[in-house]
Amino acid sequence: MYELFDHTADVGLRMRAGSLDELFADAGRALFSVIVANFDAVEPVQELALRVEGSRRDDLLFDWLAELLYTFETRRVLLSDFHVSVSNNGLEATARGEPFDPDRHELDMEVKAITYHGLKVEQDGDGWLAEVIVDL
Amino acid sequence: MTKPGYGGPLEQIDECCWRIPKSYKSGMQVEGRIFADDRLMGQIRADQAPEQVANVAFLPGIQEASMAMPDIHWGYGFCIGGVCATDPDQGGVISPGGVGYDINCGVRLVRTDLGQDDVQPRIQELVQALFKEIPAGVGRGGKYLFDRKQMRQLLATGSKYLETQGLATAGDLDHTEAGGCMPGADPDAVSSRAMERGDDQCGTLGSGNHFLEVQVVDEIFDDEAARVMGLEQDAVCVMIHSGSRGLGYQVCDDALRDFRPVPAKYGISLPDRQLACAPVESPEGRRYLRAMRAAANYAWANRQLLMWQTREIFAEFFGQSWQSLKMNLVYDVAHNIAKLEEHTVGGRKKTLCVHRKGATRAFPAGHPEVPDRYRRIGQPVIIPGDMGRTSWVLVGQPGSMERSFGTTCHGAGRVMSRKEAIRQAKGRRIDRELAAQGVVARSRSRTGLAEEQPAAYKDANVVVDVVHRAGLASKVARLRPIGVVKG
Repeated sequence: MYELFDHTADVGLRMRAGSLDELFADAGRALFSVIVANFDAVEPVQELALRVEGSRRDDLLFDWLAELLYTFETRRVLLSDFHVSVSNNGLEATARGEPFDPDRHELDMEVKAITYHGLKVEQDGDGWLAEVIVDL
Repeated sequence: MTKPGYGGPLEQIDECCWRIPKSYKSGMQVEGRIFADDRLMGQIRADQAPEQVANVAFLPGIQEASMAMPDIHWGYGFCIGGVCATDPDQGGVISPGGVGYDINCGVRLVRTDLGQDDVQPRIQELVQALFKEIPAGVGRGGKYLFDRKQMRQLLATGSKYLETQGLATAGDLDHTEAGGCMPGADPDAVSSRAMERGDDQCGTLGSGNHFLEVQVVDEIFDDEAARVMGLEQDAVCVMIHSGSRGLGYQVCDDALRDFRPVPAKYGISLPDRQLACAPVESPEGRRYLRAMRAAANYAWANRQLLMWQTREIFAEFFGQSWQSLKMNLVYDVAHNIAKLEEHTVGGRKKTLCVHRKGATRAFPAGHPEVPDRYRRIGQPVIIPGDMGRTSWVLVGQPGSMERSFGTTCHGAGRVMSRKEAIRQAKGRRIDRELAAQGVVARSRSRTGLAEEQPAAYKDANVVVDVVHRAGLASKVARLRPIGVVKG
């Protein structure tokens, strides 16, 4: 699951999941839920393969979200469904979504960047917790 | 998630200036200095920004003080409204966080011969025309497309390149900070990822707090300076606030990533990872500066193209050329940038690396970088207020060179989070409230008007009042919006 939280001029993403794989998948959905006002209207009809390298988990989360942001901006594609596999060296993911359609998708916030502020990925009880702030 | 306020020491120096003593935290090389008065200090103390001012004081080679303007608020590593000058000769550093993600976010003011009476009766249609034609908002590409070769020239020379394409005049360049072109910009230092993000975004407004406003000169405080700038009571102006778009954000992102291992490499220990820095005179420092300058040039080109499009829209709307409307650029300033500038420290002239993050250059009369036309009065400073409230034009004063490395504030500064602003706006029609105040506003984002509502910001009037009294920049004119376009 994910939720958005207040952070001065920007917004924070907070994810809780039973596994790292789900955590990163939720982070992807959280990011796009900030970008698209009607996130539910994004149909998972196209598939993209993505991979990110890195061993430090918090930096990996950062780089994963940065990769998604870059993909959105340069390929004008919205992603709503993520299947992620996190390993010690990075992650591989299949993301599904569709090209941005101005008639159906209401874009909301421009996310300028992912920030390092308060970035965390840690174990929390039986599961995982992650937090990251994005600059609007 | 409410942050605790600042609990450290704050000593009042005079009615507009406060000090955080060097003794506050071990590692501070200089004191902290915040320009603010009693009215603003309450809000400032409630924020972690003073702590960030103290943290910046750790940076190697920092001169004089870690400073902050009255519109200070919390940011990433460095607060917004921060000024930090380092001496490259003393191992002084450059820090991408001291510039910000939106490199050369800035603002320009365009004057016209139109008066409020010419425009007010048709303001709805004019705003509609601007809203329709000016590319704004997330995911909207611009009208000007540059191939890679052209983009490289644009990054290298900014507005100068646009002049060769007939999209800028010599007068436009003369009235832009740095002539719209920072020397030492290197397209090769800009990653292909950044180039891709910036591909079709030059000449687009963006979103968030970026805007294009039709404004009216509400009150003049300095008759002579206003006359020189071409501003008359009730005259209609256009103010454009935007930055380097996705290209700049990516350049900052790339730099922060590159700088991850750098402080350790140079034996620099920092209280906050987000103050990541490198000596100015290091390969990493030089590379970031070259890339930052390219992004800054992109931003000037961006604002130039936004102005060019606005001129075309006005020409069509009012049935006369923009030249006959005398839609001339008053001035364009950057408020997120790092520059190598000459300043006097301890009686000696030095070249310093001055970081301004949410702060504006404000050179006084006589300074060689002030355009000929303004040399007698000082550099114009454009201060965008928040939506629906006033903006300001100031002029740089000698006090800025003495007290703040030639710097003044940049705007109003947020006091309310976006979510809080949206919460407070629930059930309210912000567009109607603005209309009741005589402001026609159109936004492309669903929550845009709510999150940018006036209550979300400090009062620009108070901020400007402080910099005026502190002798950093003095009031020339106050402007009031009648039309707003936001992304």
